[in-house]
Amino acid sequence: MFALRRTGLQTLKRTYANEAAASDVLKLQFALPYNVLYQNQAVKQVNLPLQSGRAGILPNHVPIVEQLSAGIVEVFEKDATAAGKKYFVSSGFASVQPDSTLNITCAEAFELSEFDLSKVQSLKNEAEKNLTSSDEVVATDAKIQFDLLTTLENELK
Amino acid sequence: MFRQAAIIATKQSYPANVRQFATLREIEMRLKSIKNIKKITKTMMIVASTRLSKAQRNKVTTAEFAKPEKNFYQITEAETSPLTKEGKSLVIAITSDKGLCGSIHSSMAKKIRSLLKEDSSAEIITIGDKIKQQILRTNGDNVKLAFNGVGKVDPNFLESSLISSEILKYINESPETYNKISVFFNDPITSISFEATNDPVYNEATVNEAPGLCKYEITQDLNIPKDLFEYALNTKILSAMGKGYAAEISARRNAMDNASKNAGDMINRYSILYNRTRQAVITNELVDIITGASSLD
Repeated sequence: MFALRRTGLQTLKRTYANEAAASDVLKLQFALPYNVLYQNQAVKQVNLPLQSGRAGILPNHVPIVEQLSAGIVEVFEKDATAAGKKYFVSSGFASVQPDSTLNITCAEAFELSEFDLSKVQSLKNEAEKNLTSSDEVVATDAKIQFDLLTTLENELK
Repeated sequence: MFRQAAIIATKQSYPANVRQFATLREIEMRLKSIKNIKKITKTMMIVASTRLSKAQRNKVTTAEFAKPEKNFYQITEAETSPLTKEGKSLVIAITSDKGLCGSIHSSMAKKIRSLLKEDSSAEIITIGDKIKQQILRTNGDNVKLAFNGVGKVDPNFLESSLISSEILKYINESPETYNKISVFFNDPITSISFEATNDPVYNEATVNEAPGLCKYEITQDLNIPKDLFEYALNTKILSAMGKGYAAEISARRNAMDNASKNAGDMINRYSILYNRTRQAVITNELVDIITGASSLD
């Protein structure tokens, strides 16, 4: 039957993950290039800003690989009902492995409490000025910066 | 042969007919310069030792950073993808610009050369001047892209991003397809040994054909394998640079430790020679004085 699936239903093969996870804890591996925030730590739930939309990852989630967009990674260490630790990430990759490990890697991540709203707003205004720049590179940079800071500002409010 | 040359050199620098004073002076100067060399090598060793702990921490964090992609390749069994055999092979060789660290750069060059013997059409991208010089000498045509100015401080994300974006530019512009990219780096096995090893990065086509890809649920329209390839190339280069840097610092520490020890040995030998010669000069003078005095009697 397996052979039939492989030859006959190529698209199906890509759509559904057939590997089931075995354990009931979610192990979180959250790494930055210069620091490891979580190293195989058992957590209850992690909310991710995936490119296809926000997603909550619980233990035994199907294995996925997806890019993160700018937003909040929320980690519930012990209790899924209490407020979790919120990290703001600019971008990165998240993958759930078949052994119920969630890997998050991103260039930068800071706790939300470390940001200053007024500073974010002033930086955003600066980026807004460059949005209409004639230099394409400057304008694109400003666009990325502006989008990121808008997301951050909304989260801080 | 080297020893013979050294003997000739000593013979030339201390000819028999020169007065003993000059020889003594020469030995003294030689001794001083060796002492200076020892000071330099010792300082370099201390600098390397202080950098070592930081470099090793960096090695660990960058390795953790690159782990998800490594796991992904393992689980999807990308290695057995039918496409890995096709296409041209692209090799990224990572060393640094600075020498004085033992055989670490030349062992990497040896590895690359043996690889080129098997696959003479492989294209090489060098990171660091040392490997570039060595490969250019023997296989100049294979070197396609070279980076320098790396390896002065701990490698960081920005540095590896700049390098990988240039490499991606090259890959996209090149008419060839590279299904498997090997990143070569020096892996520090223990504090005194290292080995030139390589890790693969697979492009999106290869990952798409990987037999184990069905284990993951992947959103089709986002083109994840392509993004993942670009991201994995960056993280792989970063972790490889982290490992290479740690290996290099550790090798430099050992090389400079040995150099200081050798200089110490030479200082010992030369001080004995210096004292003996000085004694001989004094004895000679005494003999001269006494014979002179006794001849007057």
